[in-house]
Amino acid sequence: MSLAETPAPAARRGGLRGSGPMRREDMLDHLGFADVAESGADASGIMAPGALRGAARGRDLDSLTRTLFLRIYPVIAAVVLLTQAGIAWVNYTDQFRLYTDRANLLASLSAAAIARPGWERAPEIFGPQLQALTRDPAFRYAALRDGTGTLVGSAGEPPHGRDWNRVQVSAQVGTAPDTATTQAGSLTVVLSAEELRDNAERQALLALGTSLVLMLAFVATLTRTVRRHVVAPLKRLLVAMRKVEHKHWTTVDLGGAYRPSNEIDAISQAFNSMVEGLRSGDEAKRLLQALEQAHAELARANSQVIESIGYARRIQASVLPERGALAARVDLAVLYEPLHLVGGDYYWLEEVDGLSVIVVADCTGHGVPGAFLTLIVATALDRLLHERGLRSPAAILAGLDAMVRTQLRQDGRGAESDDGLDCGICVWDPAERSLLFAGAGLSLTAIRDGTVAQIRGGRRGLGYPRTGREALPEADTRVPVEPGTTFYLMTDGVTDQMGGPMSGQAGGQAGGASGGRPRLLGQRGVAERLLARAADGLDAQLAGLEQDLAAYRGGQPRRDDMTLVAFRLPELPA
Amino acid sequence: MTRIQLAATERSPEVDFDLAAGRLSLRGESYPEDAAAFYGPLLQALRGLLADPGQAPLTVEVGLAYFNSSSAKALMNLFMPLEDAAAAGRPVTIRWLYADGDDTIAEAGEDFAADFEHATFELVMEAQV
Repeated sequence: MSLAETPAPAARRGGLRGSGPMRREDMLDHLGFADVAESGADASGIMAPGALRGAARGRDLDSLTRTLFLRIYPVIAAVVLLTQAGIAWVNYTDQFRLYTDRANLLASLSAAAIARPGWERAPEIFGPQLQALTRDPAFRYAALRDGTGTLVGSAGEPPHGRDWNRVQVSAQVGTAPDTATTQAGSLTVVLSAEELRDNAERQALLALGTSLVLMLAFVATLTRTVRRHVVAPLKRLLVAMRKVEHKHWTTVDLGGAYRPSNEIDAISQAFNSMVEGLRSGDEAKRLLQALEQAHAELARANSQVIESIGYARRIQASVLPERGALAARVDLAVLYEPLHLVGGDYYWLEEVDGLSVIVVADCTGHGVPGAFLTLIVATALDRLLHERGLRSPAAILAGLDAMVRTQLRQDGRGAESDDGLDCGICVWDPAERSLLFAGAGLSLTAIRDGTVAQIRGGRRGLGYPRTGREALPEADTRVPVEPGTTFYLMTDGVTDQMGGPMSGQAGGQAGGASGGRPRLLGQRGVAERLLARAADGLDAQLAGLEQDLAAYRGGQPRRDDMTLVAFRLPELPA
Repeated sequence: MTRIQLAATERSPEVDFDLAAGRLSLRGESYPEDAAAFYGPLLQALRGLLADPGQAPLTVEVGLAYFNSSSAKALMNLFMPLEDAAAAGRPVTIRWLYADGDDTIAEAGEDFAADFEHATFELVMEAQV
């Protein structure tokens, strides 16, 4: 049982020094809780040898019992005493009246017996009568007087002073004689009322004794009852409350005997359900806190990653060319949208030896891994163009393939990387008016006069461990340069837009297909949208395309990085 | 391990490789962050299956609405041992499923088909439900 764990009362009570704020133990002690034994041993505790000693020290008599005793007992005692006193008084007065009546009777009988002519002078007449009176146990004194008031005879001791313990009556002796000179005598009888007083005193003592016995019985019953039914359960509650205060979710054991009529049982049960509520509330709060903490950590980690990638974006941006690098020779616009700040898409624009070189590459993956690959490609391209002086698109592709493979150790030295890139390269020679193209997994799209033409590159990308099936384009494709043609090099992120049927924009292309499954926009979808804006300037065209793509996606997220380079070659001077 | 079953996620397809029955299937979209990690175990399971000397027929169904270039590469890696097995005499059928009107996926299927000489490569149009 939980009470057994309660420490012994602190030895700290009432010291002269160090009487700081009262501690909980002191308070318990103070309230009379400290020495209460567990309820089961309570009854026997009263009977135990030490119990009385404890009670004598006033430690067992808890303050609640004391309070109840002091409040209730005086009332009961007063009522008992008053009732007894009242009864005694009524008894006393009744007795007193009876005594008086008896005295009167005695006096009148004796007076009648005495009243014979000449009784005043005949002691033989009144002597026996007076003697007879003395036989009454309560008799104290009798005095016989003649008509003139002279004492004729007496019996017993005359009483002194005024004593309330006696009954004094007088009776006329004989009738008044005819002659006016003689008067009737009188007989005065005094009886003792001491017996009455003794009786009353006995009764008072009895009342006092009764109230003492009552008090003892009351104290014993009260102590025992209060302890068993009030103090012990309250202490259990208090102990449980202290534990709950320290978040030990303890309930009070009702001993399986819950009585709805018992207020303390009702309180205990309410307490138990409150503890349950607090426990689950605390649990929820703890979980929420853990969740918030985890969330905060995630947010911190995420912002760190974003910050880091933001930095990476600056680095990647610095290896991309100036968009106006070819402005003097070619009308050109660029759409470059990495999916996650940085990406695997890459483009290069450069004027070399009078040739305009346009490169678009799509490395495997996106985000940071893709961006790593673009750096390799950028370095390789720079070396191919400037160290090895390559000018043929197909040769540059072959060079890129070899260099990337070497860099990524895909050349048979236990390749861990299965990465590579799609790449399309255009080289414009304004002097010859020749446009050469070579692609690996990437096509050149040409739009002119409302028609779309695709100059497909090789199907295989660059890089990747060799499988023996690679077929890189062996020669450049010479692309006819007709006036009014717009060329587009784009990565598959542009064409691979999931969305469609639900957005309504691609209804014509969907061929009457219904249903909500998202579908790829595809090369043709992009070409259609470019065609619709063929008359626009290149920048406006690309901005419009971007809006079209967003509209096509609808609620679908983008899947990949997007890069599109559009260019128009200058007309021949007329 | 006779059967690999993976539920589709936002970025990876539903996988049902019933190796014992010789029926392999990929459906959904495929653009996992790390395609090599996703397809590696599948490729290994396929290699394990093909290493068995049996000549039981094998059918592979691929129905992807979108796959990124890494996944394309991974598919290529899955297809190569299949073609090799077919060259060795095992009946292998690849069914490339594309939605009605989805030219991009159909064309991708045609691209893959060009790599197969011995295995049967079927382009199957599925009417969208």
